[in-house]
Parts: sequence; C-alpha cells; structure tokens
Amino acid sequence: MSIQYKSISDLSKMLKAKDISNEELIQETFKLIDGNKHLNTFVTLNKENSLKKAKNLDDNPSDLSLSGIPIAQKDLFVTKDLRTTCGSNMLSNFIPPYSATVIENLENAGCISVGKTNMDEFAMGSSNETSFYGNVYNPWGDDLVPGGSSGGSAAAVAAGIVPAATGTDTGGSIRQPASLCGITGIKPTYGRISRWGMIAFASSLDQAGPMARTAEDCAIMMNEMCSHDFKDTTSLDEPIPDFTQDLDAPIKGLKMGIIKEFDLSKLDNEVVKVFEESIKHYESLGVEFEEISLPNINLSVPTYYVIAPAECSSNLSRFDGVKYGKRCDKPEDLEDLYIRSRSEGFGDEVKRRILIGSYVLSAGFYDAYYKKAQQVRRLIKNDFDKAFSKVDLIISPTTRGTAFKAGSVNDPIQMYLEDLFTVPANLAGLPGISIPNGFVNEKPLGLQLIGNSLQEKRLLNVAHNFQISSDWHLRTPSSEIK
Amino acid sequence: MDKETVATISYLSRLKFDKQNEEKITTDLKNIINFVDQLESVDTSDIDPLTSPLEKIAKTRTDEVTASNRKKEFLDNAPDANEDYFLVPRVVE
Repeated sequence: MSIQYKSISDLSKMLKAKDISNEELIQETFKLIDGNKHLNTFVTLNKENSLKKAKNLDDNPSDLSLSGIPIAQKDLFVTKDLRTTCGSNMLSNFIPPYSATVIENLENAGCISVGKTNMDEFAMGSSNETSFYGNVYNPWGDDLVPGGSSGGSAAAVAAGIVPAATGTDTGGSIRQPASLCGITGIKPTYGRISRWGMIAFASSLDQAGPMARTAEDCAIMMNEMCSHDFKDTTSLDEPIPDFTQDLDAPIKGLKMGIIKEFDLSKLDNEVVKVFEESIKHYESLGVEFEEISLPNINLSVPTYYVIAPAECSSNLSRFDGVKYGKRCDKPEDLEDLYIRSRSEGFGDEVKRRILIGSYVLSAGFYDAYYKKAQQVRRLIKNDFDKAFSKVDLIISPTTRGTAFKAGSVNDPIQMYLEDLFTVPANLAGLPGISIPNGFVNEKPLGLQLIGNSLQEKRLLNVAHNFQISSDWHLRTPSSEIK
Repeated sequence: MDKETVATISYLSRLKFDKQNEEKITTDLKNIINFVDQLESVDTSDIDPLTSPLEKIAKTRTDEVTASNRKKEFLDNAPDANEDYFLVPRVVE
C-alpha cells in the first residue's frame, strides 16, 4: 500500500487499523527517500534508530498523537547522537550531546525522526544553493530550486516522502519554500515555539514551525511543537490552544487587509491573477476586504539586512575551531587556528553576512546602521499594530513568483528580495502562513496570511477553510508532470 | 566600503579571503551597504529602537543546579582535548 502523499491523520488511521505496521511504514518511507535521492533533500538519515523505534511501537502500541509518524527534521535543530550540520562544513562532524526542545516535544508525541533535511548554510539563503551538502531540487520541475532556507524540508513534503517536516523562519525560510514547493507552512509568533537547541542565526527573528501539505497537519504539528520552555528566556508563557479544534469554523464576516504599499504591478500578470483569484475565493466564503496602509513596509528588506547580519555575526562568533566543529589542519598559532578554521568552515554567503554584521556593528557605524534599523523596525511594527485595529488578517502573495532555475540568480540583493513579502512578519514577530493557491506554468504558488500576535489558530482556521473548498494543496508533482 | 575597510572587518570577523575573492566580496558588500543606505532617509527622531518583538524583561529563575556534569560528552566533540581541557596551540612561551 502506497504511503506517498498521505497525511498525518491518514497514516495514523492506517496504523490504528493495522493496514500497515509501524515497521512497514518506516521501511516504505526509506524506500521513498531512496527513490527521490536526486532531490538531495536529506543530509543525514536516521534509518537504524527509526526502524528500531517502529518495531518497538509494533510490540507496544501507543495512543500518542504522532505515534509512528515519520517526520523529517531540519538540520538546524540539534539531535542527540545524530549528526547536525546546519548545512555547513563547519559542523560536518558535529554530534550533539542533547536534543532541541522542538525535537523532544515531537518525539515525546511519538513521531519518528527519519532524518535531517538539507538547508541553506546556517539558514542563510532563499534557494537552498548555499548548502555545503549540495543544492536541493524542487520536485515540481527539473533544475528548479525549492526555495530556502528550509528547502530540504519543503521538497521532502512536496515529494510526498513524509507528511510533515520541521522548518525555521528568520525572514521567510518556512513560507517562501512552502510557496515554491506547493505546500503549507506556518511561522508562529516569535516566542511561541522554543528556540532551545535551534542553531542560532538571528536570535530576535528566528522561529520554528511546521511544514506539511495541509493546514490541518500543520495544526497537529503545532499542538506538539509549542511549549513554554524555561530554557529559552524568550519562550512565551501564554496559553496554548488546541490548534486542531474548530479548524472548520466558518469565517464569514472576517476582515482581511490588502497592503496598499505592496506594488503588485511589478509582478508577472499570471502571478497577480492567481492572487486575485484567491481574494475572490475568500470573498465567496464571506470574507470582507479592505485596503490598509503600512507606510514603512517597503523598508523591511533593508532593515532586515542590517539586523539579521548583525545578530548572525555575533552568534556565529562561537564557531572558533576550539570547542566543537571544524578545525583547520596544523594551525601555526591560536589566531591562525581561528582564522583558517572559520575561513575553511564557512561558505561565501555566510561570510558575506558575517562581514556586513561586523561592519554595521563596528564603532562609528553602529548608530547609523544598527540602531537606525532597529528604529525603523519599530516603525514597521507600529504600522502593523495600527492595521490590526482595522482588520483581522493581512493577505498578500507569499513570493514574487514561482520557483526559478538553480544558478539563475547570482546577485545577492536580487536573492534577498525573494523575501520581500515574508520579512515584515519576522521583524514584527507576527505569525504568518503560506498555503498553495494556484499554478503558473505548472509551478506552484503560495498565498500568505499574516495574523496579529498569537493568532496562529485563526490563521490555521482561515487556511483550512480555503483548503476544504479548493484542491491546490492536493496537487502533487507526479500527478501534474509526467 | 573599500578594500581597506574589507580587510579590517575581515580581521575583526577572523576571516581571510584570497586576492581573487577580495574583489568580489568588496563589490558585493558595497552593493549591499548601498542598498541598506535607503534607511538613512527615514525620520526616526524620538523613535525607540526595537531590539526584540517581545519587549519583555528576560525571565529569571532561582539559581539552582539543573544539569549534571557532562564534561566528557562535551569534550568528546572537541577537535583536540585532554581529560579536562580543550587544547589549542601554545599561547604562552
């Protein structure tokens, strides 16, 4: 029985009905991984342990919500005794002595972590072309990028290998690849999911979240991933709702804002048409639309490219070739050890961002760049606060277009603009979701919904309403492209 | 942003580039800094910097021992270590 493209609830039902054993499910998953090797979605597999855990579940069945469900974990979450590279040569030999809270939460709910997914190095990239372990490819077409940085997770879900995967989103790294791969991905409110055990990129922006084919599966994952964690001082101590409850509650009368300042005339006509169709679709479900103004939103990308590199240069100074990770051969002295270990361990994009960070934080430039960007960040957040006094949600395309060919974007700034529509939610710490909403030239596109702080449940409810009345999320690469 | 500035921030970042890459990285950084320079035109007088979207005071906890000594596990990941210490090239003659 094929397990490809099955949802979490499908697989749970199959396991409960004994249509398939836990061991068979995991064996089938590894067959799918094998059959999709060309996509390069995984850096490290966890086959032996996964099969052992599955056999154990066959002998001792459990009622846990994710019991026996194969999940792919982004290689940015540390996993005890399982190599964690963060897409970097720097950590090519790193075996963590502990697991991230997200991993513990999911595994305590019974899931089986089948492997670690490929990603842009240290999550810095929007096409999964900066990984030391090679490009990830999008199952929707030859040589297409899956987006990034959670490109391996997105491609693994889009190819139907696993029903769900973990991702992280600093400037769009869950939503942008979800859009380009035709799947669903949610970035929760900053602080909703513990960052303990996430290898830090930009600490005031980083947030983990689930990626799956449906909003319903994202809700099941959210229920387990969210927790208040005393090991992360920015972890929110707020009530965590049951995200799966009332998913299909009607959304009639809901008010959505369309951002005046997002100039869609610069986008491909077909891309705009897909967005407009989605607005009509929501109108048919009783949603009301209103134009809103976020006067500073077009400053989000430049603001982000001061703040994120600044935090990255500080966070990545821990990689010094001394305590763990890569060390250069035969260092002459301590300084040579630092310089050569870092120069050999990091790739070009990571080095670029460390340098920008060091520049904007250096004496004489701090006020002009870092402080200035933080001030603009507040203006952007204030704009959102004002907008949410008028509307319940904000709607926009997730990306400017569909997946592009690997190697076709060589200018760093053009690549940075991939995150034009996704970065604002990170700066303001707001939750955002991307759902499949159409195709252009047989390539999927995503629709982004941004909610006010802690409104993940509302986002999932609104996304689910779209999905029970459309079938974009059910299209699969093998059914579209023969 | 010129070659000299790039050399200074490279050293501050403990990174090294060969001649060929130096050109490219200087151009890239120049373009990126030009790009973020558009922030300059925004009036931010009297605006407090936003350092984190939470704006909450970091939580504290009682100072209790919560972890056991796992020295061996941590030293096992080190490129070079003895039983007690991370080892680096000699720094004191």
